Amino acid sequence: MALNPMHQFEVYRIGPEINLGNINLSFTNASLFMLLSAITIIIFLFLGTKKKLLIPSKIQVITEMSYSFVAKMISDTAGSKAKPFFPFIFTLFMFVLFCNMIGMLPYSFTVTSHIIVTLVLAVVVFIGVTIIGFIKHGIKYLELFIPKGVPIVLLPLIVIIEIISYLSRPVSLSVRLFANMMAGHTMLKVFGGFVISLGLLGGWLPLGFSVALTGLEILVAFLQAYVFAILTCIYLNDAINLHH
Amino acid sequence: MKNLKEISTRLEIAKKKIKINLEKKKGSNAASLGTALKISTELVAAVIVGTTIGFLLDNWFGTKPLLIIIFFFMGVTAGILNVFRSAKKMHKK
Repeated sequence: MALNPMHQFEVYRIGPEINLGNINLSFTNASLFMLLSAITIIIFLFLGTKKKLLIPSKIQVITEMSYSFVAKMISDTAGSKAKPFFPFIFTLFMFVLFCNMIGMLPYSFTVTSHIIVTLVLAVVVFIGVTIIGFIKHGIKYLELFIPKGVPIVLLPLIVIIEIISYLSRPVSLSVRLFANMMAGHTMLKVFGGFVISLGLLGGWLPLGFSVALTGLEILVAFLQAYVFAILTCIYLNDAINLHH
Repeated sequence: MKNLKEISTRLEIAKKKIKINLEKKKGSNAASLGTALKISTELVAAVIVGTTIGFLLDNWFGTKPLLIIIFFFMGVTAGILNVFRSAKKMHKK
């Protein structure tokens, strides 16, 4: 069982079974690690902002860096009109980043390697952005589906293609994060299994690969959180400024 | 007093070094790797969405193989359009 690379993705119940009607609301290891990353973020930000020193401590520097990183990302991609949405994007970025990073610890569980978690995050972004677009522009927001300068004969076809393209946003957003995390962790486990099965003689090569892959995975964990947040900014930009 | 002057000249030199480093790094940062990862899924996602819509409409209208084929190709078109747009956005930067 320990050699099965997919075993790490198993969701199991912790504590008693809770049923609400037909919905199973039991506390699982996935919920535990989501809670854990949320608590870690709160503690991290609390410690970083507790003492506001002029010459910042290490943790204060990291907190300020994460703030300015996200703030710069928003102003670069979506402009100054997107400033009110900073708290949402910051929360999203930190949550995905900490879920990914906590998943890198041995014996932990990677929440973002489950499609349902990433899909819910992406659908929240998608519905939120659509509502913002309709609030800002009213019915004119539907002009997003009609590119300029298209002959009237081709219009029905183009509109359907544009709608498919718009609907593919949450899918591509969620599949990207989920696939990257799952593939990376499976690969790590597979190489770990090679180390065990090849033993003391041949196990050194896969061990080296394992170390290199761990470094790569940490990069991917950060990069995927970044891509998730920056794409949210780009979609927000489409909704606020209405052009493509 | 001499100490302060020394510090300020050192600061000047350090600032210049940072500027040079920043200019070197342009274009080869992690953001470009991010866009590369982004484009690869964009194509697949549109095909999935298109085929799913075709499948659902087929079940609804009872025209089994027809709509799924049409919407598959529309999904492919939408995917290529998505990739084309992101590539154009990258080029603009």
